[in-house]
Amino acid sequence: MSEPRAVPASDHGPALAVSHLTGPVGEPLIHDVNLAVERGRTHLVLGPIHSGKSLLMRHIVGLECAESGTITVDGHTYRATGEPAPVLRQMRTRIGVVFEGSALLTRLSVLENVELPLLEHTSATATEARRAARELLAEVGVLGDEDREPLQLGRLERRRVALARAIALRPPVVLLDEPTHGLDSHSAHELDETVARLQDSEGFALLIFSHEVRHAYGRAEQISVMDEGAIVAQGPRETLLESEHPVIRRLLKRRERERLG
Amino acid sequence: MSPAPPRFAPPADRIPTSTGTYPAAVEPPPAAAAPLGATGGRFIGRSRLALGAGYWLAWLAFSRRSSVSSGVQREIQALGLGALRLVLGASVLVGLIATFQLAYQLKQFGAEPMSAKAIGWFGAREFGPLVTALLVVARSASAIAGEFASMSANAELDALRAMGLDPVKYLVAPKLGALLLSLPALTILADALIAVGGYVGMTAFLGYSSGVFVEQFQSALAVRDIVIGLGKSVIFAVTIAIVAADQGLNVERNVAAIGGAATRAVVYCLIGVLGADTLVNAVFYFIPGLV
Repeated sequence: MSEPRAVPASDHGPALAVSHLTGPVGEPLIHDVNLAVERGRTHLVLGPIHSGKSLLMRHIVGLECAESGTITVDGHTYRATGEPAPVLRQMRTRIGVVFEGSALLTRLSVLENVELPLLEHTSATATEARRAARELLAEVGVLGDEDREPLQLGRLERRRVALARAIALRPPVVLLDEPTHGLDSHSAHELDETVARLQDSEGFALLIFSHEVRHAYGRAEQISVMDEGAIVAQGPRETLLESEHPVIRRLLKRRERERLG
Repeated sequence: MSPAPPRFAPPADRIPTSTGTYPAAVEPPPAAAAPLGATGGRFIGRSRLALGAGYWLAWLAFSRRSSVSSGVQREIQALGLGALRLVLGASVLVGLIATFQLAYQLKQFGAEPMSAKAIGWFGAREFGPLVTALLVVARSASAIAGEFASMSANAELDALRAMGLDPVKYLVAPKLGALLLSLPALTILADALIAVGGYVGMTAFLGYSSGVFVEQFQSALAVRDIVIGLGKSVIFAVTIAIVAADQGLNVERNVAAIGGAATRAVVYCLIGVLGADTLVNAVFYFIPGLV
């Protein structure tokens, strides 16, 4: 594993930095995780299922209480061990999250899902929020489905809507948990393109958590390989893919089998 | 790829959106900041949940621009109007049953018409609020807990929290508000329909005249009975909303937990409503000045 990088908590540092994160409290399942993502860059956290990727994401958003560590978002440093609710609320406006399975609010329409953060976090009027939500849905390519319920949409469309909701407040950091899991290769490719287009236009730092090695051949410049709750290898994509680390070899071998199969 | 120019450095008080940069919505710190039921057992957890929901409800009453207010309307439709036919139909039957049972018992003393008086005594004070609450528990407690447990399993609660939204404000407060408005309204209707049931029983089945029923009923019913009944319905509304929400929010994040949460919600709400009713009746019995 590469040396943990010191993470400066300044306005000129990375958009997102995770420093010495160990948690959850009481029963730590992830250990001393360090990673950083620059603005406009993509970092992939790659690892087998149940390696702790989703748990790491939950810690970054403050959904879990850590034993130690800090999260720096856009120059603001937060204690992963817990912050008061107003501080967490402020932090969460700076991070857009797309959960595995989209996690859209099923009782709301597609449009209401996207306008919700705008209504709750800004002083935009209902009309302004609605207009902004429509524009966001157009940006992610979901047109004409605004008034439908999320469950009436296909998986790809639901991911697109979740993406629109995640970037509604124009956050500097976007987290995607297993973004293409369960999608066919064509849909996965389409979603990748949409994410790439949005990242180019918005400039957010992108952190992808996935067990799918295909993401390592996408836009990720940096890769952290996670296994049993720890980052076992970290570095630029080209170096990582050439590495002889057994976890990486195993993941690559599985991808090869899937391709042949 | 060359990174796009850094257009993000939103100060804490302004948030950029696609239609412009808006000041962040001003919101007071939540009353219940820590995770629900994190410490001190279920009772403390529920008390904090009740305080948090009440706090957000009060906040909502003075806020004109929250998406939560549309949630209250939606919940009134689901929890209040949805139970209307059930409560109306059941109340007539309760009026009939009470009349028959009372008349049967009073017959041996030659005091059958007194059953109208008893309907007047018990209808507004006890039957109306209790029957309405039990019917709402049967219909809505499992629905509330099931909905929240399902949202937990689908990571919808996590998504809300990750957006910086408090599930207590966004989900529990609208349900509490809707039940606080709906249950007293349903109770008033139930009081009236129980009286109608008693009237039908006395006149159509027991053969007494309308005059006898009205005279006996009027002599027994007082405005304070209706007020006490409404007070009970408010207590029941809080009990149902908080206990059901607590059961739904504090479950494992998996689909298997949904059924268990719904079942427990009904059982605990029934116990809660009956326990609260017993307590109120005991207070009125042992402090005679209150009656």
